[in-house]
Amino acid sequence: MNVLIVEDELSLATEIASFLKSENFLCDMAITGNEASEKIAVNLYDFILLDLGLPDYNGLDLIKEARKAGSEASFIIITARGAVEDKVKGLDLGADDYIAKPFALVELLSRINAVARRKFSIVSQDITLGEFTMQVQARKLVCNGDQVDLTKKEFDLLQYLVLNRGKVLTRQQLYEHIWGNILDDQYDSNFIDVHIKNLRRKLNLHTATPWLETVRGVGYRVSPD
Amino acid sequence: MQMIRLKTKLALFNLLSKLVFTALFLVFLPWIIERINLRQVDNDLIQKREKTIDLISATGIEPFINSDTTGAFGSFNILKEEYISLEKTDGSEEINEITVSDRIIEDEVITYRVLNYTFQADGETYLLEIGKSLETITRGRNNIYRIILGFLAFIILITLATDLQYTRLILKPLELITKKLREISSPAKFDMNPVKTNTSDFAALDKALIELMVKIEDSFRKEKDITVNISHELMTPISVMRSKLENILFQKETGEETAIKIEESLKTLQRLQSLVNSLLMIARIESRQYLLEETVEVADLLAEITDELRPVAEDKKVELKEEFNDKGSFTKANRPLLFSMFYNVINNAVKNTGQDGRITVGTALTAGVFSVKISDSGRGMTKKQLDNLFSRFSSRRENDEDGTGIGLAIAKSIADLHGIDVSVSSTPDKGTDFSFIFPKNS
Repeated sequence: MNVLIVEDELSLATEIASFLKSENFLCDMAITGNEASEKIAVNLYDFILLDLGLPDYNGLDLIKEARKAGSEASFIIITARGAVEDKVKGLDLGADDYIAKPFALVELLSRINAVARRKFSIVSQDITLGEFTMQVQARKLVCNGDQVDLTKKEFDLLQYLVLNRGKVLTRQQLYEHIWGNILDDQYDSNFIDVHIKNLRRKLNLHTATPWLETVRGVGYRVSPD
Repeated sequence: MQMIRLKTKLALFNLLSKLVFTALFLVFLPWIIERINLRQVDNDLIQKREKTIDLISATGIEPFINSDTTGAFGSFNILKEEYISLEKTDGSEEINEITVSDRIIEDEVITYRVLNYTFQADGETYLLEIGKSLETITRGRNNIYRIILGFLAFIILITLATDLQYTRLILKPLELITKKLREISSPAKFDMNPVKTNTSDFAALDKALIELMVKIEDSFRKEKDITVNISHELMTPISVMRSKLENILFQKETGEETAIKIEESLKTLQRLQSLVNSLLMIARIESRQYLLEETVEVADLLAEITDELRPVAEDKKVELKEEFNDKGSFTKANRPLLFSMFYNVINNAVKNTGQDGRITVGTALTAGVFSVKISDSGRGMTKKQLDNLFSRFSSRRENDEDGTGIGLAIAKSIADLHGIDVSVSSTPDKGTDFSFIFPKNS
């Protein structure tokens, strides 16, 4: 998929691009509004990551322009402003999602994937985890025909780890995904530990879960296979 | 203190002053009427005396007193309301006085106001008495009294009604101004159209308020611009660093030791991010950037928070109890902010309560006032800690590695924004109670 990263901070754009490339996206960058405007006019993009804080351009105008030019790109707004009005305005103009700086790269990826699933009406496939099967669509976890009784948060946590299979996720990344960053003044690494502990206990009632790994000093991971 | 509206105060004063004056008037009225009435009666008696004397000097004393009679003349009307008598007297002294005395007429004792007058006729001295019965006098007086009372009541009612109407009319602009103030949730929402009035004081008040609102709005806007800029300037570098560190963490060639160091750096960065966000949040709250336009069921909100925190509490073997005695529907609120406020306090309670402790989250409605109480059986606070509880950075606890120590300062600004009164009491090693008293009519 083609992604245009519109971000005036070059080093941030580079990091996002390098991460998305490793996730098999094709990335293009624009560090000014004018550059972005030209690129949108010429190229076809599936995704445009748009920083609203461009010095030369009102980011929201870019959405209007793209829509006028018939672009079907999905916009994900990146902003450091955190002002609610921007979010509302952006979503009104047809942006697909909104993410506030500083964000986790895996979170950005998961937003892009979510928008892509909606856009292309992709039905999520069931995922196998040892003897467990995660029915993503039905939001159920089943082990040899028995449903595992999980709370919403426990399921979300497991799903996020599964979607980022093979990657170590830090407690902060997990916390922000589950709780959002509204409460980030209350961030508590212990929350994630407690929920993982409960999750493991519930899963282990069915069968052992060697695939759910604790990575010492870093975080948690679902092993690649 | 009991608050009373200006309109009511004026009306009460009006009524009271009228009542006082009326009472004073009523105290003196009998005396005044008595005086007027007596003067009237006396004048009447004197006039009758003049007439009688005139008559005597015209016709002589003969028609009244002659040798056939006993030397005296008397006459009274049928109801004995008045009488007149004339008799010869040998007293040499001159009498001209009005007295009150009893007379027996046809076996009936009647009290009269009597005019006594001596005069000379035909070389003799005569005493003339003209009397008017007191009963007649009193009847006259009572009539006057009744008429005056009726008139007085009528006047009081009329003036009271017009006074009320008039004060309502002249106070209307003031009412409009206070209504304008009461209705707004932020200075930007203030109605800048001046209130129509020809009372210069109200016009000045209204004008001053409008100017003040424009100024406040302006400074809020500036502060908002500053927070937006600070937010952008600080969050962008944090974001750059975070992305760089995360990319390193994801690289396969990163070793275990490096990964741990990277995660530690990410944690430090997270603290910086939290801190900046918290300070920005306080700035946004204090510059009124959050709208207070939602209605929140406080008990539902608290239940949501306790559900959220229950796994953590259970993990510590801390009991998290709900005692919701009232739902507490609170208007003019910002739900995410209230959530953040209570979350902060309850989360703090969980953090500071040891194993087998208990936290109670309760709501109550007492005399129309809704309140929330959060009590824990935790380690409590010393007087010094309590004093600094809501100041920024001071409440950071030694064993709280993730917190910024600013959570309760945020909670306090959110409470202030909503007009919620917060009080805390604490005993070391016993526990801490937080009370949130909500504004009335919420």
